[in-house]
Amino acid sequence: MTDTNLPLDGIRVVDLTVVWSGPGATALLGDLGAEVIRIEGNNRVSRQASARTTNASVANSGWSRNTYPDGKPEPRPYDRTALFNWHARNKLAACMNLETPEGHEAALRLIEISDVLVENNTNGVLEKLGLGHDRLLELNPRLIVARMPPMGMTGPMSNYLGYGPNFNSLVGIAAMDGYEGEPPDSAGENYHMDESAPAGLAFAVLTALWDREVTGRGGLVEFAQAENVMQDIGEFFLDYQMNDRKPAVLGNTDPALLQDAFRTAEDDRWVVVSIRDDRDWAALTGVVGDAGWTALGRTAADRRANSRALRDGIAAWCAPLSSDDVVRRLAAVRVPAAEVMSELRLLADPHLAAREWFKARSHPSVGTYRYPGHPWRADGFDLAFGRPLPGFGEDNEYVYKTLLGYGDEKYDDLVSRRLVTDEQFA
Amino acid sequence: MTSSPSRADTRRQVFNGLRVVDLSRWVAGEFATKMFADFGADVVKIEKPGAGSHSRHWALVPGERPDPEANPLFLHLNTNKRSIAVDLRSTEGLELVKRLIARADAVVESFRPGHLERLGLDPDELRATNPRLVVTRISPFGQTGPYRDREATGIVLQATGGPMNATGDAHRAPQRKPGLLEQYTIGRTAGEATLAGLYHARRTGRGSTIDVSGQEVLLSSADRRASYLLTAEYSGVNAPRGVRSAHRGAATFTGPFRASDGFVMIYITNQEFWNRLIRLIGAGDEVFLGKFLDRPHLGDDWDEFMDYLKAWFAARPKIQIMTDAEAARIPCTAFLEMDELYAHPHFRERGAFVTAEHPVAGRLDYLGAPWRMRDGFEIRHTAPRLGEHTAEVTAELEMSVVQP
Repeated sequence: MTDTNLPLDGIRVVDLTVVWSGPGATALLGDLGAEVIRIEGNNRVSRQASARTTNASVANSGWSRNTYPDGKPEPRPYDRTALFNWHARNKLAACMNLETPEGHEAALRLIEISDVLVENNTNGVLEKLGLGHDRLLELNPRLIVARMPPMGMTGPMSNYLGYGPNFNSLVGIAAMDGYEGEPPDSAGENYHMDESAPAGLAFAVLTALWDREVTGRGGLVEFAQAENVMQDIGEFFLDYQMNDRKPAVLGNTDPALLQDAFRTAEDDRWVVVSIRDDRDWAALTGVVGDAGWTALGRTAADRRANSRALRDGIAAWCAPLSSDDVVRRLAAVRVPAAEVMSELRLLADPHLAAREWFKARSHPSVGTYRYPGHPWRADGFDLAFGRPLPGFGEDNEYVYKTLLGYGDEKYDDLVSRRLVTDEQFA
Repeated sequence: MTSSPSRADTRRQVFNGLRVVDLSRWVAGEFATKMFADFGADVVKIEKPGAGSHSRHWALVPGERPDPEANPLFLHLNTNKRSIAVDLRSTEGLELVKRLIARADAVVESFRPGHLERLGLDPDELRATNPRLVVTRISPFGQTGPYRDREATGIVLQATGGPMNATGDAHRAPQRKPGLLEQYTIGRTAGEATLAGLYHARRTGRGSTIDVSGQEVLLSSADRRASYLLTAEYSGVNAPRGVRSAHRGAATFTGPFRASDGFVMIYITNQEFWNRLIRLIGAGDEVFLGKFLDRPHLGDDWDEFMDYLKAWFAARPKIQIMTDAEAARIPCTAFLEMDELYAHPHFRERGAFVTAEHPVAGRLDYLGAPWRMRDGFEIRHTAPRLGEHTAEVTAELEMSVVQP
């Protein structure tokens, strides 16, 4: 399965990530051609789906049952959830129970012949398993150990529990999120920390690999997710020091733009419109024609002073139109405008179709579906999009026999003792 | 530290020797190149004479006109870079940039699709003289396809790429994420793509052209859009509008709550966390405990529960709630504001902020390493003044000085 046109061809990644941002990061390494091997215990829920989930048990679970194809988790719910499968492309999966001596031995042998290990468990979990980075780097000095503790490995809050939205709030993002002029608890959900981690972590691993080409040495990458996402509000951090003020809750507005989200004639379908400058304004009013409010926005100062009235005017103009109509008419005169796209509208979107963004892929546990595509594309090298997901334990034989060199007797013994299985029990 | 590079006594950094030309003028491209500059690359910004980058003109408040030499956005995004003021429409300017690119490893640009070609900087032609060159092109909708020439702003990107349709309240307008967050996600991804291209070039000697569509970056992102898209494909159902943690199943209880002095974010995802929360807020109240412990979900007593919870939170300060919740191992954190972040003991103890001097903006604490490794992040110098390095870079290229 070598392809020299993949940037990370020949690079092996041991993937001990769970939940969301960590697996999102290893998906990006897999895109680049790395062999990403998920290590999963059959006694743990590492894919956000318990083996005990049934069609009946999710029947009344609201929207979340739809994360399984046709709302049906059976059989093998852990192979069938979109919560795992959105980031599972190209990955391999091997069953290894790290708390057992057999699992521990196998993990060490795999780590010894790998280039990268990525993990996003709670601080101290690897150490308890005897897999702390110091020990691993002693075993394999060329290894890059990328650890993603949300608040870092040191400091008074390094062991705080939390998910993405918790740490978003700690770094100041939640406090500026919400409807215009309302308190920040009016905001919807925001998982920006999860959004920011994957590309950052993949960049960090590539950086360490770059350095290894020079030094021949691997090492520790400490990726504190809160410090990574903090970069995304750096201007507010400096502005606070320079001007002694905090960002206001702006909702859909922007200090430099006249913009908002507007309801259209279609059921709960919205559009956004942004006016950047006088040219955009002239183009908008050219489309709208004469209306009482169009006289109120001729200059940037006018548009600031009359923002509410102008947005009410645009809202009234949009209200009887379809979203396609609004977007087509404004795009034709180069005014930034778009429908607030639902997922089903995106799946049918002509632009994404022309760019062949979605990828139809099959897996025996799931069937054939279209998967979200790569975040970017390259002319000059390839990106991988093979199998859409690894079934639980699907690559056991490859990992144990081909990579680790286990003989039939040793492997069969692990299988007979249910330490290596192709099903998850938890 | 000063803004002029004096590299004699600086330590080794991982990207020493790497040269990046930054043709971008806004957040995504400038953040992509900052990722290289802060880890040791020589990043040269090409700025329009007189005006400079758009990020020199960002305003936090409508109508404000910050000093272009001390704009917080520009200062943040352009640490460790050099600036040359060049008119790309002049023959000399274009020639200088071509020479710069001829010895560079990567170019990052975010012009409208096709503009680079119109300038005479077609990536294929650039690679004819520099076969290892990586050219990263950032645009709202990509370099191809029927919408490639559509105009976009941040909210347009969030509407077409992000999870905006599901975000906000069910009966109100969809809600974008604040600040310039979508731009950072696109820029960070463009940085990752550029380094992938550089790594490939290092291994094979072959460069590449990378097409970063902001929409596609956000569609593939971990802020739920990719999982929502796959869910819609699996079951034919859109993500519901305005529902918190819709993608999670039973025993999930999340959201912000008012404390006496601000807000906290609670994120309960399983029965164990739920029970810990019930024990914390219902300590000593046997009736409450008896009623709400071990409940996988609430029913008609939702309002009763919420009133009780809200009253408990509203009576306590946010840091106290966070500390007590953490002691009970419950995911619940305070909303911090910029002054609290700036003074935060955890980030201070970790050295997450770095003090540096800028000739116009003065002494400020900048955000430090986004992540840490051997020979990694360092602020060697603060953001450049417009054209500060025009003469220096021109001299390096052994050409006569181009006056801005």
